[in-house]
Amino acid sequence: MLISMHPLPKLVLCLLWIVAALVVFRLSFQIALFAVATLVLLFDARIPLRRLLGLMVPFALFGFGFLTTSVLFRAESGFAVLMAQEQGGAPEVAPGLVLFFRVMACGMISAVFALTTDPGQFVRALMQHLRLPAPMGFALMQAMHMVPDLRAELLQMRMARAIRLGRPLRRVPTPPEALALAIPLLAYAIRRATRAALSFEARGLRPGRVRSQLPQAQISRADWMRLFAGIGGLALLLAMAPQGLT
Amino acid sequence: MPEALAYDRVALRHDGAGGDAVGPVSLRLREGERALLLGASGVGKSTLVQAATGLFPKSIPGERRGAIRLCGRPVDDRTPADWADTCGYLFQDAAQTLAGFTVRDEIAFGPENAGVAGARLPEIVAEAMARAGIPETWSARRIATLSGGERQCVALAALLAQGAPITLADEPAASLAPVAARRMARLLLAPGRTTLVVEHKPGPVLDHIDRCIALGRDGRVMSEGAPRQILARDADALADAGIALPLAARLHLNLPDLIDPRLSLEEALARLPPGQAHRLRDVILPAPIPIGEVVLRLDGADCAPAFGPVVLRDVSLTLRAGEVLAILGPNGAGKSTLAACLSGLLPPRAGRREGAAGAVAFQNPEAHFSRESVRAEIEDIDPAPERVSRILDRWGLTAVADQHPFTLSQGQKRRLSLALLAETDRWPLLILDEPTAGLDGVAEAALRDRIAGLAREGRAVAVITHDMDFALSVADRAVLVGGGALRFDGPCAALMRDRERLSAAGLLPPEAAPVLDWIDRTC
Repeated sequence: MLISMHPLPKLVLCLLWIVAALVVFRLSFQIALFAVATLVLLFDARIPLRRLLGLMVPFALFGFGFLTTSVLFRAESGFAVLMAQEQGGAPEVAPGLVLFFRVMACGMISAVFALTTDPGQFVRALMQHLRLPAPMGFALMQAMHMVPDLRAELLQMRMARAIRLGRPLRRVPTPPEALALAIPLLAYAIRRATRAALSFEARGLRPGRVRSQLPQAQISRADWMRLFAGIGGLALLLAMAPQGLT
Repeated sequence: MPEALAYDRVALRHDGAGGDAVGPVSLRLREGERALLLGASGVGKSTLVQAATGLFPKSIPGERRGAIRLCGRPVDDRTPADWADTCGYLFQDAAQTLAGFTVRDEIAFGPENAGVAGARLPEIVAEAMARAGIPETWSARRIATLSGGERQCVALAALLAQGAPITLADEPAASLAPVAARRMARLLLAPGRTTLVVEHKPGPVLDHIDRCIALGRDGRVMSEGAPRQILARDADALADAGIALPLAARLHLNLPDLIDPRLSLEEALARLPPGQAHRLRDVILPAPIPIGEVVLRLDGADCAPAFGPVVLRDVSLTLRAGEVLAILGPNGAGKSTLAACLSGLLPPRAGRREGAAGAVAFQNPEAHFSRESVRAEIEDIDPAPERVSRILDRWGLTAVADQHPFTLSQGQKRRLSLALLAETDRWPLLILDEPTAGLDGVAEAALRDRIAGLAREGRAVAVITHDMDFALSVADRAVLVGGGALRFDGPCAALMRDRERLSAAGLLPPEAAPVLDWIDRTC
């Protein structure tokens, strides 16, 4: 359902959910947001559970920092309590736990947007509806192209390096290897960006030029309905939280 | 005919360079004319083409002397972006110059920049895709999922959609399989189109060309005229200048008493006495090399790129010392993945690999460079100054020994990357991935000799290539990759005559196929 939703209402909806996660300091609410986002990823976006668990790892590690600070170093938890008080009240349980689930909820909501949105369509929508300048939009698309290409280039450089040093290819590069590859990789990225810029210019792209757009999907009534349903769902979760905004 | 593009005593020099990259050059391209710009690697052909709309020196830092006119107007009157309505580019490396996120975006990019009404764009995109032979189902495909050859086809469709009356194409078919290369030549060089094509190998485009312009090693025009005329008149000089010649011209240079340069290959073969078959065979086929022990064995191997799905299943292949194997197949068939698996860099997902590790010379030669100069790269192999000088000389790199490897021309980069692997005796197995891309005629002939030399030293060599004539001239055995498996494993010459099998794989027979047929008929 979310995959077919227009990127801009989806962005608004996800931002609203993230803002709600940031302003409401309630464990039950954070858990509810996290659970809804995870269920959407599992059943609507059909992301395999294994990949989903993998995605959670960086957010969990980040959130775990708050949790350990709060639980193991109680003297430090004053920071979290202070945060809770600044947001309107005292936390219901250990503040570190709330912060942990806040990170998880925000991470999963971001993942919902990232994994259900076509990046090219998103940039096109920004150019069409929010007047993102075309050179910037195409530079963004080029950067998105570059990520997989940089990975392939990095792998090829590592293979070439392994060949030169006469040793097998390591699964994960060691820190000295990664450091040695950083500059050639950066040089590759610069050269690649230069070639792309030349190509853009040769094909008629320049700042300030009036250009047309390939017709894109418009924001439909179904998109508005999904947006309002999402906002309604958020309101419901807020209402169900025992003390609402604390 | 009115003049489309004119260079008047143009000389171009890159910022910081000691001398001119090219020129002074004076040449004209008339409306409706299809011209081929020939020249050895590094003589400044690409720079000359980039200067046509002012990209050089406006966007590529440098200095230009002389004047350039496009459709009668001085090029400096408009910006390079404004000239896009007049002049369309097809760049050497489409993989790095595509703008859109999907195939549809990419093809629409030029017309969007020109402000064509949005409602007309889908029709323009569909028409360009059909003309370039791109299936409709590709429309929403992400560019990142396309192979190098597929991206080049998309770049061609984007050029057609742009609709500029003049086309400048820089080695447009370098990474294309033969069928796709021929389609590109047909479209780019259709009668009536105004096109200037830069190519190292004139073979596939020669029949579509009105005029050839050859640049000498000094970056000046050395020969100009109708293709057959300059090949008959200046074949020796062109070969000396590093320009790859079509087969008939090469045969004439090797067998001047047998092949008349004024005749087509078929006509020349029809007049050959049957007793001369062995001389023809010596020119187009590799000399036999004694085969040694097994260097590598793949047994029921499933090959997959790193982090990707299996692309080749149940591959069983044995390579012996002294053997040269050609790995052939259409774009995206999994040839490079097979190379990584053969070398041991990527272990097979299933099945077994037995044998010593091998080295791969990658398609992108820059992956091999890690030092600050060509000389320093070579010194990593052996620091002895006399050995370094010998290697630099042998691979034609002496003049650029103190340059940074990234500043070399594509052909020079290719030579350096091959030298780094071939000049050490560490590797019993060498795999060369598209080694002729960007090489001129002299460098290609030197590479052919070097491959034969490596095989004679007792190494096993595998060559991935789209150049069927090169494969025929270096390899005694060939495998055909396609449809997720090996489709053929046997003598290279036999595969090159199997038109049905080649056609099913989207490949075309080599230029030398009629010669093979003639040898077969007469022996």
